[in-house]
Amino acid sequence: MVEEIKVLDPTISTSSKDSLLAVRPESLNGLTVGLLANGKKNSVEILQYVYEILREEHGLGISIEDNKGNASRPCPPDLLENLANQCDVVITASGD
Amino acid sequence: MSSNTTSKTYSFHSPHDAAEYFLDQGWTDGLPINIPTETAVARFVEFSGRPGQDIIGVEPVKNREITLEKVAINAVMSGCKPEYFPVLLAAVEALLEPEFNLHGITASTMGAGILTVVSGPIAKDIGINGGISVFGPGHQANATIGRALRLFVINCTGSRSGEIDKATLGHAGKYTWCITENEDFRPWPNTSEDRGFKIGSNTVSVFAGLSPTQVSNHSSQDPENILRSFRDALFAAGPNQGEIVIIFCPEHVQSISRAGWTKSQVRDFLYETAVRSDTEWGFGSIPPGPKPSGSAMTHSALTPDSFTLLVAGGAAGAFSSVIPLWASGVGSNSVTKEII
Repeated sequence: MVEEIKVLDPTISTSSKDSLLAVRPESLNGLTVGLLANGKKNSVEILQYVYEILREEHGLGISIEDNKGNASRPCPPDLLENLANQCDVVITASGD
Repeated sequence: MSSNTTSKTYSFHSPHDAAEYFLDQGWTDGLPINIPTETAVARFVEFSGRPGQDIIGVEPVKNREITLEKVAINAVMSGCKPEYFPVLLAAVEALLEPEFNLHGITASTMGAGILTVVSGPIAKDIGINGGISVFGPGHQANATIGRALRLFVINCTGSRSGEIDKATLGHAGKYTWCITENEDFRPWPNTSEDRGFKIGSNTVSVFAGLSPTQVSNHSSQDPENILRSFRDALFAAGPNQGEIVIIFCPEHVQSISRAGWTKSQVRDFLYETAVRSDTEWGFGSIPPGPKPSGSAMTHSALTPDSFTLLVAGGAAGAFSSVIPLWASGVGSNSVTKEII
């Protein structure tokens, strides 16, 4: 009989604290969308491009644009809060 | 024994089977590991004198609570000795500080490593090399402490190559990168003292280091000409660096200190010498955005204090090093923690 070796899992695979995805809307029709650029070159342009496609193909409503200005750092909480209060959905993007 | 472990346990018929399983799961850096048995991990937990469930910190972007036991498991895997564990715990605490921006530096295409600098008497006590071939192989403490931090990043934050880690190139320091300062040739305060800790304190500092550029100058003994040799390496990092690390080799620093120069004078000189017009910077267009141009002069560093100056390396050879930091040294701030 070979003795078994017990080995411990080195990973943390999920959030230990509450961290849930927002409920996905069934339709984008008429929804207000936030366009959150990250300060990278062309990040505003690519968001506008995606917005135009989604508006034409899925009837997205008005857009609210903002820019966190620094691609290297997480979005400041007050900016996120502001978008969350005004928008139904938010798109963000990188761009180089 | 860690019978009260909170980690999932796997059973294997042989160490080889366990090691192969870990490799297959992507839980390693691609090199063979020591398998983290319950007994081996318990030795680290016991050495710390703390429960394995202790929370060392929370990874701020993914909200993951990092327990002491998870750090211990990755330490065993890397080949650390239990006496290195206090250094690792302090280093992990430093990595989890929001200003270090661990997620950014380990996800980015820019490909930073974690330059880990241990200062104070503990470095000699546990055998961290700060002398000959300071970045090279052959020293268990350097090799395994740096590796444990990389395994921690891979396994506890999920930043593994091709998944969250999207580095275009990366560099060899992403496998392991832990050093100490060369206490035998240091004419200046060390990093710990520079950052306000008492003389004799044990600290660990983490920097989001890009690939080093070696600077050679065997023909000058005067501080001005030695320091002028650093200009091109500093220019390669781009303008307006918020933080940048320079490792002075003993030969260079001895010449500089013989002339009576302090760290502060060296910083001021480097700041003033590494400056050029925006049109010259524009040739490389290093920062994202429009190409700079014009006759206005821009320095390589934001301020003289942007330079962190260390002394390390072997006594022979006039080779120093410039280590630019991730995102122009402003996207991540280096963090120093006391080793308890």
